[in-house]
Amino acid sequence: MACLRLRDGAANMPAMSLYALQKLIRDVNRKPACREAFFQSAESFAKAYDLAEPERDALIKRDVRTLYAMGVHGLLLRPFTLLHQMPEPDYLKAIRGE
Amino acid sequence: MPITFACAASHAPGITAWADAAPAPQRERIQGAFERLRQELDASGTDTLVVLTSEHWANFFLDHIGAFCIGRAERYTGPIEPWLKIARTEIKGDPTLATELLEACYDNDIEPSFAHELEFDHGTMLPLHFLMPKMDRAIVPVFFNTLAAPQPSAQRALALGRIIGDVARRSSRRIGLIATGGLSHDPGERNHGVIDSDFDHRFMAAMAAGNCVALGAYQRAELAAAGAGAFELLSWIALAGALDGRKGEVIAYEAVKPWATGVGLMTFAHGLAA
Repeated sequence: MACLRLRDGAANMPAMSLYALQKLIRDVNRKPACREAFFQSAESFAKAYDLAEPERDALIKRDVRTLYAMGVHGLLLRPFTLLHQMPEPDYLKAIRGE
Repeated sequence: MPITFACAASHAPGITAWADAAPAPQRERIQGAFERLRQELDASGTDTLVVLTSEHWANFFLDHIGAFCIGRAERYTGPIEPWLKIARTEIKGDPTLATELLEACYDNDIEPSFAHELEFDHGTMLPLHFLMPKMDRAIVPVFFNTLAAPQPSAQRALALGRIIGDVARRSSRRIGLIATGGLSHDPGERNHGVIDSDFDHRFMAAMAAGNCVALGAYQRAELAAAGAGAFELLSWIALAGALDGRKGEVIAYEAVKPWATGVGLMTFAHGLAA
């Protein structure tokens, strides 16, 4: 699957399905049933989406720095991290690679 | 009928959701400017609002992105954000006017998408909350793709706005125009919190002068440099197109750090139909 967009520092990552990753995050953000299923078992929930392995890993680990570097849109990623009660300073440090 | 009301306003969610985080003088100047716009709208006799707006993955996703989308619904609901401190409510639509706008666009070489069902987030609800607290006028929302590259060009926004202005002036309705979004801000991105006041002042000066040449010359890279949220200013540029060079007035501008946004409000009411 073609890589749609990689941010700085992610150029060496394998081709990924950024669309599916962002779709999963948007579903969790916007659909209560998806959100509940995701928080019950992220691993099981993610099986319904065609994610590349690095994407799946970053998602399961809630690795915000990597998810951002992969190209997840900020207005998808920040609401997703708010669902995880991530404070803004921590979020900004993560996406800035600090 | 001449356009009866026109304004542009930022829609930073902090304006309502975390209002008290802003220094009181800034907050009060912004709230006062919204109140002035509300009074102008009430005095204008406007019966229908065309809201030039943007959203934040509320309705649209990458499965189908159009440059522009005109709402044809009988009614809308919003906001989708329970934390916005704006009561969820219903707002009447105007599918007849929406269809007139669509047909005029298609007759003039712009083909927006259209939607019979849309929910509003803070991008639309926040200015309406201040300007039309009773939610008692019909609206037609016109959404701009500001999230997914490539966004429409400033020239295209101007052209769309010109068509909207022509339809409004031909209509038997008393139509007002609201543009919402901007100014410089980078929500959820690395420069979140960075406000480029020089950019904001230059942009608003062009809006105040009704300088469609300068506004149409904005490039995507210039908007992007002012933050991802600056693409929302395409709606302001469309408003300038609709008003066809009418001059405006900046009634408030504040670089509000706790809201992470250059917040601006402008009126174009002077000289419009009373």
